[in-house]
Amino acid sequence: MSAGVSRGPTDSVPAYYPGCSLDGLGKAYEVTAQQVLRRLGLSLDRIVDYNCCGATEVKNLSQDVSVALPARNLALARSMGRHQVVAACNGCVYSLARANDAVREPATRGRINATLEEGGAPTYDGEASVQHVLEFIHTRAGPERVRAAVRRPLTGLTVAPYYGCLYTRPKRYTGAGRTPGADDPEHPHFLDELLEACGAKVLTDFSAKTICCGGGHALSDLDVAVAFSASILNEARRAGADLVATICPLGQINIENHLDRIRAAYGEEVLRPVVYFTQLMSLAFGASVAEARLRDNFSRPDLFLRSRGFA
Amino acid sequence: MPIVEKSLVTVDRSDRLEMEGIDVSGDWNTFLRSRVQTDLDVRILDWVRSQPQGDTISRCWQCGTCTAGCCLHTDYGLNEFNPRYFIYLAQVGYEEELRKYATTIWRCVSCNKCVERCPKGVKVEEVIHTIGSYLEFTGGAPESPADRFDRAYTENLLRRGVLDEASLFRTYERLEGRTMPAGEMLKMGFQLLRSGRLRTGPLAHRTRGWRQFGNVLREKLKEDERRRRASLSAAGGRGGHSP
Repeated sequence: MSAGVSRGPTDSVPAYYPGCSLDGLGKAYEVTAQQVLRRLGLSLDRIVDYNCCGATEVKNLSQDVSVALPARNLALARSMGRHQVVAACNGCVYSLARANDAVREPATRGRINATLEEGGAPTYDGEASVQHVLEFIHTRAGPERVRAAVRRPLTGLTVAPYYGCLYTRPKRYTGAGRTPGADDPEHPHFLDELLEACGAKVLTDFSAKTICCGGGHALSDLDVAVAFSASILNEARRAGADLVATICPLGQINIENHLDRIRAAYGEEVLRPVVYFTQLMSLAFGASVAEARLRDNFSRPDLFLRSRGFA
Repeated sequence: MPIVEKSLVTVDRSDRLEMEGIDVSGDWNTFLRSRVQTDLDVRILDWVRSQPQGDTISRCWQCGTCTAGCCLHTDYGLNEFNPRYFIYLAQVGYEEELRKYATTIWRCVSCNKCVERCPKGVKVEEVIHTIGSYLEFTGGAPESPADRFDRAYTENLLRRGVLDEASLFRTYERLEGRTMPAGEMLKMGFQLLRSGRLRTGPLAHRTRGWRQFGNVLREKLKEDERRRRASLSAAGGRGGHSP
């Protein structure tokens, strides 16, 4: 068993792996994450010709393909001279970190590099560490700098912080809890601290923080996907949240995609607007509701926030 | 507290628990007749262990931590989804019993809480999926919705390097014989298009240099599937009754 994941050298400007979601359905996440990073004086260098990481699906069919897909992205980051890759999607963080774990074994690395070479991609030396964008913001800027950047505090908003499953899990891959700059796997708190710094009331004991949204089977097992998404909203309602903040595009899309079914099963009063955490941060940093792309979300946080006096 | 199956504890004891004609229900005033199980096949364990996704299975010492936290078992309440038991059955090679869970085992949503918590470093989630593959390959389980989704997903991403979400949605829904009402589809499509989030067809993302890499991976995928199936038939295929 590996003893923690070493964070190699840190880059002043790490590579940024967008992944399919941030370039597609999660556009609002991408745009607002960039706004937030800019305001905090942080920057990331985009991996241009990236490819899909394979998420949790490909590994069920082929180990080598499921490692080669993320390895190609990590290799591109290394050929940009970077030792650090930041991704905004929990699934991407998981599979990139999983590839790192796999190529630590010399035989696997040899095989994967042969595949990369054959496919015309740069080879991978295993030296790029992976971080979630939330961890990146928390370690590089931290609550203090976030507080200083706030122009319009989110006073009066009660937020349920939803981290989802693969943000830190499993620690074997992500190094969570025993690597500098990584959040706690059982009781993550980075999001709580950043949103608190934005002036929101954060439900730090939100019991659905790290439950699964069922997004892995969003289409293939509707009963489970709807039940899990609903339990996040139900729990948010019980705890008195106005909004649910997410850090994962799959979680966001999975919950929002099932709103009609959740409404039918549990009633209108369970529904809560669901937003990317960067949308809230951007709002707190002075962006308008439109600039924070809050109209993108199917759960219509724009209507709710306008009713609370946010323009 | 010993590890017991809830289903055995709550079973209606008016029904005798019989195995091969021997009463093994073990009620308070009955003696448990010893019974030698002959239909165990160690080749299940050998195969699962030979797969890179399943190679940690032999570290499992049956503590049940995975199952205690499992969101399907505990939160969703699907009691028959019991990863500890699945691993046990694969370890001892009790294929007949394992096949009873053929339509349950695929429902793991890959939340990885079990992998996170396992004190022995078993990659439980990957092991469970490998056991699922074993069942599928040996005809012990039908192709599941999740298997179909994994394949549709992989084929989709291998085409251009990046997922075309709209096309994956259409393809998969067709595979399951479902159709989204045209009105709903249009409404959603418009909403996505307006905000620049619909990257399908001519708007789809393109990864430079993908064609060559995609072709290599497609070959690898086929080769891997061939190798996995071949290693099963080399091991004697579906176990059955080895001495």
